[in-house]
Amino acid sequence: MEPKLSSDLLRGHTDTIVLAMLMNGDRYGLEIYNRILERTGGQYELKVDTLYSSYKRLEKGGYITSYWGDETQGARRKYYRITDKGRELYRQNMLNWEFTLKILNNLLKEEK
Amino acid sequence: MDTRKYIDSLFSDYEETSALIDFKEELRSFLDERIKALVKSGMDENEAFKKATNELGDMSAVADEISRKKKQEILAEMYMKTRHYMSTWRIALYILCGTVFGFGIIVAALSGFFTGDINASLGSLLVFGVIPVLGFLFLWLTQETATHEPMDWKRALMYVIAAGVFLFGVIVFIITYFEDSAGLPYAIATLIPFILPSSAFGAFLILTEKDRSKPWVKKQREEYIKRSRERFGDPAQEERFGLFSGALWIAAIAAFILLTMLFGLKFSWLAIAAALIGQMLILATFTKTK
Repeated sequence: MEPKLSSDLLRGHTDTIVLAMLMNGDRYGLEIYNRILERTGGQYELKVDTLYSSYKRLEKGGYITSYWGDETQGARRKYYRITDKGRELYRQNMLNWEFTLKILNNLLKEEK
Repeated sequence: MDTRKYIDSLFSDYEETSALIDFKEELRSFLDERIKALVKSGMDENEAFKKATNELGDMSAVADEISRKKKQEILAEMYMKTRHYMSTWRIALYILCGTVFGFGIIVAALSGFFTGDINASLGSLLVFGVIPVLGFLFLWLTQETATHEPMDWKRALMYVIAAGVFLFGVIVFIITYFEDSAGLPYAIATLIPFILPSSAFGAFLILTEKDRSKPWVKKQREEYIKRSRERFGDPAQEERFGLFSGALWIAAIAAFILLTMLFGLKFSWLAIAAALIGQMLILATFTKTK
């Protein structure tokens, strides 16, 4: 049997995924999109609207900020930067996820 | 297809706020770069465009966050449609009523001048004035507009009867008052058979009236109520606001009358100006601060 990726499960963690991408530096919209595609081996059919909903939501909540880059050639890019509040949210979400994962694994195990 | 045009068409239903313009530019650079990368990986341009735009998903959720749907335009369109509710025969009837009414006024004035008798004028008004007024009433009630459904013609006819008897009563009252110098007591007596029952019937009709607003008007009203709720916090607060405003305006009108009697209109208007300022201050204090 071939394993299949559960896109729904991933979609539920878009905010945390975006925050994770920004933990080590500012990135622009398409960069984040490409990295997610790369790191899921093209398995995850991420729609751009999901991603941008997340950017807007995070920006509204003050977890990330955005600014236009000063590219001298080619198209201008909008960069996103994580805030301290965003780092805090990321750490909290990671804790929640690890905790949930443990419980979920426990629940999904065959009962003996 | 041009990506700019494509993105413009995606958001054509939304108000062009600065946030939306910014977002459109961001999305455009996203799309352009994505298409370029796909072409580089060996796709032809059309295919790349198709794939990239397909990957966008449903942008309306994002757009809802940063802008609003163009409401004014929808409203304007609805008002424009009023013309569709005017059929040719209705227009003809409106004009006919207007013409008869104008004719009635002229005849009443002329007969008044020539005979010097007010009853001659009233008599012609009774025929040429009242009938077009009733016609207008019927047309108005059964008129479908952008905001209201038309009234059932039977019910409209009842209104017309009530109004007709009422207007007849008014003219009879005036004629009796002047005729034979019968005087006020006789004139008042004529109120009983005409004005009194027609008023009662009219009141009954008005009180049992259904809301004929169209669904979108009702929705608009609900939204307005919700918004005023948000502004005032709770209904009790809103009630207090109403009481304060009422008290303010009663005082203002009293002051206006008093000042008019004492100093004339030159100064009494200040009472209204003061009340307007007071009203704004009351609104400011009652509006919820965020």
